[in-house]
Amino acid sequence: MSNAQQPSPIGDDLGLGLTLPGESPSDALGRRHVHPITPIVHGVSVVPVIVLLVVASGGGVLASFGWGIVPITVLAVVVVGLAVTGWSYLAWRNLWYWFDDDGDFRVDSGVLTRKQRRLQLSRLQAVDVAQPLFARLFSMAEVSIEVAGSGDSRVKLRYLKLAQARSLRNEVLARAAGLAGDVEEAPESALVTVPTRDLAVSLVMRTATAGLLLLTVAIFVFTVLSEGWGGLPLVLITGGVPILVVASEFMRYFRFTVSQSPDGLRLRFGLARTETRTVPPGRVQAIEFVEPLLWRRWNWVRVRINIAGVGGESNGNKKEETLLIPVAPLPVAISLVHRLMPGLDLDALDWHPAPERSRRRAFIQWRRLAVAWDDSVLATRSGRFTRRLAVIPHVRTQSVRVTQGPWERMLDLATMHADSTPGPVSVKALHLDAHYAREVADEQVARARQARGSDTTTHWAKPQDHPDI
Amino acid sequence: MGSLTDMTPDTAFTYELGWIPVSPRLAVARRLSLALVYLIVIAVVVALVLIPGVPTWVPAVVGAIAVVIFIWLWWLIGRRVRSFGYAERGDDLLVTSGILFRRLVIVPYGRMQLVDVQAGPIDRWLGVTTVQLHTAAATTDASIPGLVPDVAVELRDRLARRGEERSTGL
Repeated sequence: MSNAQQPSPIGDDLGLGLTLPGESPSDALGRRHVHPITPIVHGVSVVPVIVLLVVASGGGVLASFGWGIVPITVLAVVVVGLAVTGWSYLAWRNLWYWFDDDGDFRVDSGVLTRKQRRLQLSRLQAVDVAQPLFARLFSMAEVSIEVAGSGDSRVKLRYLKLAQARSLRNEVLARAAGLAGDVEEAPESALVTVPTRDLAVSLVMRTATAGLLLLTVAIFVFTVLSEGWGGLPLVLITGGVPILVVASEFMRYFRFTVSQSPDGLRLRFGLARTETRTVPPGRVQAIEFVEPLLWRRWNWVRVRINIAGVGGESNGNKKEETLLIPVAPLPVAISLVHRLMPGLDLDALDWHPAPERSRRRAFIQWRRLAVAWDDSVLATRSGRFTRRLAVIPHVRTQSVRVTQGPWERMLDLATMHADSTPGPVSVKALHLDAHYAREVADEQVARARQARGSDTTTHWAKPQDHPDI
Repeated sequence: MGSLTDMTPDTAFTYELGWIPVSPRLAVARRLSLALVYLIVIAVVVALVLIPGVPTWVPAVVGAIAVVIFIWLWWLIGRRVRSFGYAERGDDLLVTSGILFRRLVIVPYGRMQLVDVQAGPIDRWLGVTTVQLHTAAATTDASIPGLVPDVAVELRDRLARRGEERSTGL
């Protein structure tokens, strides 16, 4: 793991040098539009979709047009592009954003249905600056702002000039942290960059991926080489799926960099689409260390985090795996986690293992199953091949559950869950003795209550002698 | 160890004192819904009898299986409804339910984000209402079905008030 040498500004401008004139206009009340180029960016981004559609259906109906397909494609691109641009222009004209007098962030939008949204910055979860491919051509960026809450709690503003996107992000973060709006961009220093080779190796060496690839080789050897090409479709599936998964994660987490800034940890990653995510320390709901079997020789772990409002089902249909780092040696990962949860000491935890009879419920992982807690966090352990260790601060515990399936019931076992906000991490102590599970649950409720009483992390940049809430 | 359903309720889930059961009318409502679903099953069986070319044993077997499942579900609904219970403590609400898959949820009042009261058409007609608690966690799953409407509204208001008093950030 090499430390990145020079601190660089957030969201490297990977544009092609095309910068556009024009500013995001504002009106007398201080309300602002996004950049006027937005409708054109939207229009242009339709082009590859149409071309792909035409190419994909080229073998069928459209082939009968012969060379006529070219003017048809051009016509389709122009018509659809103009339609999208026109609609997007109307949307642009009706989109306003500003900070109101109460310190909330306001967005009015909508062409046919008007929508007025008010984001309480005191509940801010994250502000991201991302550069999708087409926005990058024009050195533009989108800003997405997440506040805590169920349902649609994310606002996306696109597109702004990169510099403006950064300054908006800084303003939002500064106001959320309880500072005045007009502060300088927080200086940041790079902590860790995941080397490209490590990322690639780690993705291939994940248990399921490596297993599928091995299986593919086996099938290839035993069917294709000995029986002819009959086994090829199977090989394409068992080999193709992991390759697609590895490729997409590689593109996504390419050059994953973690930096420290006064706003919190800042994550930057992506090959085709670069993303910037700021994780304020007070907003982390739960974390999990994941250690696949084949990573152990390098002592690597992946760290997943739950951030309220990010990575849940509420953000579209795809569940996002929010990461603190895709792969890092354990000491590095722990030092990063310490910046989010100061005082976390995993070595000092006193583990209470699941009883021996749990082997009849969880044949493989039962030896690893355990729960532990200290004054500030609850931790659970599971997994024999892929080891998992999940940690939730008491103050972030939403509710506590005890569940028991029929099999567990026959063995007088039960599982204790400490519920966190939606995200990749779920904290559960599997297959404890039933009465012990209930005991731990009751104690956890008490610990959570006590921790909530003394929580000062919500406005974490404010002086601590003014507890809000 | 007897059969699963003969077991006494597991004390790990119920040793808290003062569990309040839900209204037995919930069982009536759920059985009525079951009967409505079975109208479709009856229609299928009748259709099988009427369609020419279907051997007579087919509707007989389908009908027999349907009757057995009906009786089992009828009985199961009664047990499931009796398994629901809730208890209000000083700082949190407890909800328990389930026969095969038992669960106990402890929701601190300060963590509640909203409290829903809802009732479908059959429920409204029979006077049973569901109170559902939401926290910032999607997995909380604390719903109390089968409350008498007055009790449900009182419970909601009481919970909302306590939530307000103890509300914290995330």
